[in-house]
Amino acid sequence: MAKLTFRIWILIIVLILSLISIFGLPPSFLEKGILITSVEQNSSAFEQGLRQGQIITAIDGKSVETIDDFSKIIQEKYLSGGSPEGTAGGSPESSLGGKEIKTIIQTKNSQIIFFSKQAPEITISNIPKTKLKAGLDLSGGARALVQAQDKKLSAEEINDLVAITNNRFNVYGISDIKVSPVSDLSGDRFMLIEIAGATPKDLKQLIEQQGKFEAKIGNETVFIGGERDVASVCRNDATCAAITACDGVNGESVCNFQFSIYLSESAAEKHADVTKKLGINESAPEYLSKPLDLYVDDKLVDTLLISKDLQGRVTTQISISGSGFGETQEDAYSIAKENMNKLQTILITGSLPYKLEIVKLDAISPVLGEQFIKIILLAGLGALLAVAIVIFIRYRKFKESMALLLTSFSEIIIILGIASMIDWNLDLLSIAGILATVGTGIDQQIIILDESKQRASLSVKEKLKRAFTIILSAYFTALVSLLPLLWAGAGLLKGFAITTIIGITIGILITRPAFTDIVKNIEE
Amino acid sequence: MEPEQEIKKNWHDKYYKILLIIPAILIIFSFVYMINFYNQHGDFIKKDISLTGGTSVTLYEKLDVFELKQGLQDKLQDVNIREIYDLISKEQKAVIIETKSDGETTKQILQEYLSYELTDENSSFEFTGSSLSQGFYKQLLIAILIAFVAMGLVIFIIFRTFVPSIAVIAAAFTDILMTLVVVNILGIEVSTAGLVAFLMLIGYSVDTDILLTSRVLKREGDSLNKKIFDSFKTGMTMTLTALFSVLVALFIVKSFSSVLAQIFTILAIGLGFDIFNTWITNVSIIKWYMKKKHG
Repeated sequence: MAKLTFRIWILIIVLILSLISIFGLPPSFLEKGILITSVEQNSSAFEQGLRQGQIITAIDGKSVETIDDFSKIIQEKYLSGGSPEGTAGGSPESSLGGKEIKTIIQTKNSQIIFFSKQAPEITISNIPKTKLKAGLDLSGGARALVQAQDKKLSAEEINDLVAITNNRFNVYGISDIKVSPVSDLSGDRFMLIEIAGATPKDLKQLIEQQGKFEAKIGNETVFIGGERDVASVCRNDATCAAITACDGVNGESVCNFQFSIYLSESAAEKHADVTKKLGINESAPEYLSKPLDLYVDDKLVDTLLISKDLQGRVTTQISISGSGFGETQEDAYSIAKENMNKLQTILITGSLPYKLEIVKLDAISPVLGEQFIKIILLAGLGALLAVAIVIFIRYRKFKESMALLLTSFSEIIIILGIASMIDWNLDLLSIAGILATVGTGIDQQIIILDESKQRASLSVKEKLKRAFTIILSAYFTALVSLLPLLWAGAGLLKGFAITTIIGITIGILITRPAFTDIVKNIEE
Repeated sequence: MEPEQEIKKNWHDKYYKILLIIPAILIIFSFVYMINFYNQHGDFIKKDISLTGGTSVTLYEKLDVFELKQGLQDKLQDVNIREIYDLISKEQKAVIIETKSDGETTKQILQEYLSYELTDENSSFEFTGSSLSQGFYKQLLIAILIAFVAMGLVIFIIFRTFVPSIAVIAAAFTDILMTLVVVNILGIEVSTAGLVAFLMLIGYSVDTDILLTSRVLKREGDSLNKKIFDSFKTGMTMTLTALFSVLVALFIVKSFSSVLAQIFTILAIGLGFDIFNTWITNVSIIKWYMKKKHG
């Protein structure tokens, strides 16, 4: 009778944990509804509380289970023509003239009453069935590898660049972005930018722009970000940088922030010069006729009215304010805080002292993504079937062959489980890595099986020990040969090395020992 | 089955040294071919745009490949066009245009030619700058070299005897060399993924050699021929499962992903040579060594 040894138990437990890591608990494929993948910034949908990540379960009491359900309801309500696939369009021609329509959107955790002349400006998708993330060469997205032009950056400079770039993308409202410093085997340093999903249209310009902050009155620049004009920025000090007030508007919250900055002497004089020429604001007489406009990379981010007391005065201290909106007061508070942080960073860091060059830019369309993944699953299945055929022909024993195949299959699941746990994006090379591992895994199990069948004079234990020396040698050979790949090519080939290292390590620690015990069970 | 095996073994006992002539000839041919190839192309492989720099555009559209090539040939540098089609229905799904021109230029020229805007709804762009891709190439070669040396060290540490260790390393080396020759003869343009496949080959090809050598050196009792034949049975199962599954996977992804298709093609060629290099070259060397040592 087969007994479940300690090692087999470990395999079973790790397998269950991996399945939980892949599918979630409760499994996400049991959830009903559709997922909001993005909400247009500053749209009425955003203002009324729709957020990325919410799950819509019903609209006006009608349950929504598929994208089609959603599109149909929205189309009936808002649009006469067709809507583009997967989105609820918000183009001007699709809006009904002037009449606001009430829509009750039921999400998983709340109910949103949506008033608008046009359909909510959101993109949606089905709830992903697993927690696995496909790399952007499979699911679509953009990736840029950026270097400084004619300058070798130090590790510190790259980290600064990453921080600045992150802030900049946030300012532009691009979410789902990952910016990280990478270096390669020859010691070159790069900044890697990865954006999931749709590619921002002007990505190249966005990256190459230098992140300049300008405060203008009319057409005249008063001061810019960076040390020359901004002597210091109050940060992390509640007396001069804080959330000032929170308010509820239309079931939504807004929080305002305010912080002081100190201009340099010359910038303060400039400020005095420019304000001297201004008149009084007619509709709000306590302010000057022109506001102070804050631009980041030539994009207007905030407009501040200037108190008339400040006219012509050399003031070094200026108060900068702004706000954040959110579904709840807590949300609004944290968003306001985040916005404040962004603005502070740009003011402190100023623009980059060097020009950037995009050395690699990939923008992969998500169009064929799903089909691609299907093909890969099919290939994996086909390969496993091919293995099964060879194994059955060779051994002609059902138990052994099944044990081998099931162990290999569980190895795939464990690799995927770990990938999902460490949030690894599975790209094409990662998948090649999984195939490679499973291939070597099967090879090693064949060695184990064959060694166990060798001469009867040795005990089964002794034989399996022999098999393990061979396997351990193969493991270390593979491990050392994979290490250079972690750095080669600015880490873009890392996927292969990571999945293979995970795979062979699981093999040596979990699946091979368990398989050995299973074989022992069968043999004895 | 037994008598047949006996005959085979006797035959092998007689001719195993002479068998070494076949790999010797192939190795000499491979070297001559590679030297010649290097003189002609200035490199060991034909590189695709991921290693030379350039742009790869995928248009999700049904387009006539020939016509497209005619139209773009003079406007873009070194244009190469392929199509992606559905495995079962054979329906064209997309075309892939590869060129050495940079991303912006390619996009502009294509938009002019097609007279519509290219967005991420209808196209994918992959651009790699030439200095970066040359860096990639150099580093991947270094990675392969490091991997090979590391593999060699591990082999020496495991076996601690000179001739058998060298035999394993030589088998892996000839495996890669012969695969390289075939890849070049087939005119395959190697990508970064293709180089990764060569790296994978190092691991795959030493597997069976390690098995053979450790059984022959470390197992006691059985006759030399029995040890070799047992390893042959195990090793062939290993290589055939790998080869067979790689071929099935290749057949399925061929129409869809050039990246995976190239990895699988190179692996399949390498695995084929692995059979030859392990069971002819390595077996003969280790048999020679054992006979000399033990008389």
